[in-house]
Amino acid sequence: MKQMKAMSKFKLLSSLEQEVEKHLAEAVSVFQNLPEETLLKPAPDGGWSMAQCLAHLNSYGRFYLPAITYAINHPAGNATNEKFKSGWLGNYFTQMMQPGNSTKKYKSPKDHSPTPDLDARAVVAEFIQQQEQLMRCLRKAKATDINATRVPVSISKWIRLKLGDTFRFLIAHNERHMLQAKRHLILCPL
Amino acid sequence: MIIFNIADRFLAMHDQLLQLRQLIQAVYPLPDEDWHAFTGIWQPFSAKRKEIITAAGEREKYLYFVLEGLQRVYYYDEQDREATLVFTYAPSFGGVLDAMMLHQPSRYTYETLTPSFFLRAPYHEVEIIMKNRPAVETMVRMGVTNALSGLLERLAEIQCYSSEDKFRKLLQRSPHILQLVPHKYLANYLGIDPTNFSKIINKIKI
Repeated sequence: MKQMKAMSKFKLLSSLEQEVEKHLAEAVSVFQNLPEETLLKPAPDGGWSMAQCLAHLNSYGRFYLPAITYAINHPAGNATNEKFKSGWLGNYFTQMMQPGNSTKKYKSPKDHSPTPDLDARAVVAEFIQQQEQLMRCLRKAKATDINATRVPVSISKWIRLKLGDTFRFLIAHNERHMLQAKRHLILCPL
Repeated sequence: MIIFNIADRFLAMHDQLLQLRQLIQAVYPLPDEDWHAFTGIWQPFSAKRKEIITAAGEREKYLYFVLEGLQRVYYYDEQDREATLVFTYAPSFGGVLDAMMLHQPSRYTYETLTPSFFLRAPYHEVEIIMKNRPAVETMVRMGVTNALSGLLERLAEIQCYSSEDKFRKLLQRSPHILQLVPHKYLANYLGIDPTNFSKIINKIKI
């Protein structure tokens, strides 16, 4: 596993913001305009439908967006700190999500496994809403010490990642399942 | 390198002003001399997605000309009520026009809904040119009158049309808007509940 060097907080936040912008642009130009049947169709290998991919991401957003917002409103450290250095656990989680590094499948925890019978349009709308909120958080975080401020992880309130790592992990996880949804889209006759 | 950059920027600005001129030609053609006086006050300006350009309570200091992207003017109150009043996109003017022309704090917010690029001019400079050049004043009056006309037309539609008719009319006026904006803003603009909006899309879509 690669060790991360200290980097500029502003560079990190603006590259993450670009990633979120890309996800939003895809959701707005493509996913919100697909017919419901297409969004709900299971993948050819029996895997998740596109709506299930997005609903899975929404289930994490529902936990992490309020947690991130709370952390930004109750910051630690020094707001003028411009450096960020990934923690070992945060870095490990983020690496785990990188599509290039592994095609390994992870089993999703039960409360993050969406059922197939979804209101597909409501799912896409919630995804867009959450990404807009995430973008606002990334901008606010520019005035926060993302190295010292921490956010609990969804599986245990005792494990707390650096705010910068929480962003990296959450957005890498979004990218992973956006790719999954897009792989599926290519195979769908439109 | 620096010289190329300056040349590039000059060419880009030239091209952008040409787009502005095309719009103005359609509203009220200006004699060359008036046009040249009018071009001197514009500066490029850009904003990312979901950035507030003019906040409620602030003065509207600029007149905007949209080159790229989509924006909205909206009303919001403490009871969490929200109304999207106007969308702006290229090539059209933007900003909170009533606050700008009346020199009053804006009652509305002007925000980007996609990454956006503009030319903008300080309104006090527009006013100076309007004072000295009657053709520019007429052009601005014509522009505002057209905007008023569009607003009245929309008001009639909002009060009379069924949700489906409103949706069809929107697509007729702006065929690509479904791919450009999160649908919740379109539903809000038409005064339709988002769930109902989804049903209409499922039913009507092209």
